[in-house]
Amino acid sequence: MIEVRELTKHYGPRTVVNQLTFRVDPGAVTGFLGPNGSGKTTTARMILGLTDPHAGSATINGRRYSELRRPLCEIGALINPSAVAPSRTAIEHLRWLAAANGISRKRAAHVLSMVGLDSAGGRRVGGFSLGMKQRLGIAAALIGDPPVLLLDEPINGLDPEGIRWIRTFMQDLAAQGRTIFVSSHLMSEMALTATQLVVIGQGSLIAAESVADFTERADSSVRVRSPQLEELSRALAVEGASLWRVDDALDIVGVSIEQVGSIAARIGAVLYELAPQRASLEEAFMQLTADACEYVPVQRGA
Amino acid sequence: MAHSLAMEWEKLRPFHKTSRTVMLSIGLAVSVSAIVSAAMASGAKHMTAADRHTFDSIGISLQGVNAAVLAIAAFGVLCMTREYSTGMISVTFLAQPKRLRVLLAKLVTHATVAGIAGICACAAAFAVGQALLGTQGLAVSWSAARLPAALTGGVLYLVLLCVWGIALGALLRSSASAITWMASILVVAPVIVQILPTDVVHRVERWLPSQIGTAAMSTHSDPHLFTPWVGLAVLAGYVALTLVAGAYRMARTDP
Repeated sequence: MIEVRELTKHYGPRTVVNQLTFRVDPGAVTGFLGPNGSGKTTTARMILGLTDPHAGSATINGRRYSELRRPLCEIGALINPSAVAPSRTAIEHLRWLAAANGISRKRAAHVLSMVGLDSAGGRRVGGFSLGMKQRLGIAAALIGDPPVLLLDEPINGLDPEGIRWIRTFMQDLAAQGRTIFVSSHLMSEMALTATQLVVIGQGSLIAAESVADFTERADSSVRVRSPQLEELSRALAVEGASLWRVDDALDIVGVSIEQVGSIAARIGAVLYELAPQRASLEEAFMQLTADACEYVPVQRGA
Repeated sequence: MAHSLAMEWEKLRPFHKTSRTVMLSIGLAVSVSAIVSAAMASGAKHMTAADRHTFDSIGISLQGVNAAVLAIAAFGVLCMTREYSTGMISVTFLAQPKRLRVLLAKLVTHATVAGIAGICACAAAFAVGQALLGTQGLAVSWSAARLPAALTGGVLYLVLLCVWGIALGALLRSSASAITWMASILVVAPVIVQILPTDVVHRVERWLPSQIGTAAMSTHSDPHLFTPWVGLAVLAGYVALTLVAGAYRMARTDP
């Protein structure tokens, strides 16, 4: 479990992270979403003790990072996949990490095979592609078999096969009861991977809830197809709905789908289609982060 | 602390570029000592009896150590700056969040390696130098009274420079600037001092690390230089000051 309370960081006059409070629970993949520059990496670095916050605290299973005796066995982190000495081989990189926390040397080869790099263990990291470095970074995060994982943008540089691999890999780790906290600026990817979300914009919390609740909060519309669109539009406008034409259909916002059906029946309009249009995670995100300051933080389902 | 030492040792163990600088330092010590000693031996026939009496046989055969210090200092510098330039220092701090322990572990492991390399370099340089000087009867025996002090001085000089390199690396975080500083102190500063008026040279040169090193390995005292132990203490002072600044920056500034 990761708990962040009132976390605040300024860089000069700029507040990068502003009184951020949220909790990441075990057993689920929690997506950490925010536009580029919204403070995701700074938050991750504060959780990991690499950057000192100006106020607030972040704990891993109740303790600050600096208080962890064998941190790699408590939380595994991937922050910058290129942060490896290019002249070292993959297995050597994992061996010094294992030594650093008194972890068995055998574990290095084991985690390497977990990420599918067994054949590249003896190769120098300098010759690795970004995708291979990401895999090595994930192997490094797993070296201490930690119950908590924090991965910052792990799908950067991965090919489609790699993205699919990491998606199921993270879901499997969460199914084992681990806490998985993954930051990304790619909404569509998080929609497929995460079940919980922490969304920030300009360093402030926008939402901490399930993916389903989050998308529900965005405006949903109703789509109607009918040969009598003109009459229907007039009747709906009277009821206060906003609507716009999309080819031969009408998208309606502001009235429920039931109301649309009743109004159509009242004026005797023939309907070919009456369907709810659910906003995607991406649309919900765009709506809710359009102006981060307009939205009051909501904490639900905690 | 045991884990931190194990981490730094495991980083050093695979024989990569950083460790190669250690071999380079030994190679430099031996080859430069050989060249200097051979040059001295070839000029031996012009030496008077008085010259022979004041001839610093031990100091001459350890001349190569002065060439080895830059390599050993670079060895120290690189163990810090390579981590900062790749960003690997963040991963190191994830494994050991107590940053001063990381610094301490690096100091212990690298100073140990520098010490062993220093013993090899000094002993080999002395052996080769003496073999060449011996052809002209200018050699001393391994039981010479002042030999242990000169060899210890040489080894300590190398270890201190390795530690200084680590401290400078922690302070500057960039290989280029730290090695440039090191080269300026060890190579450029003596040249600049030499072009100053003689009375100024006599007052200033004793403070130069390169002169402190030379004096520490010499068996003849120069009135314008510090005695070996005072000189090494002064050098240790420079190292300690840099180390405090480097430790402060390492602990307080985000990697």
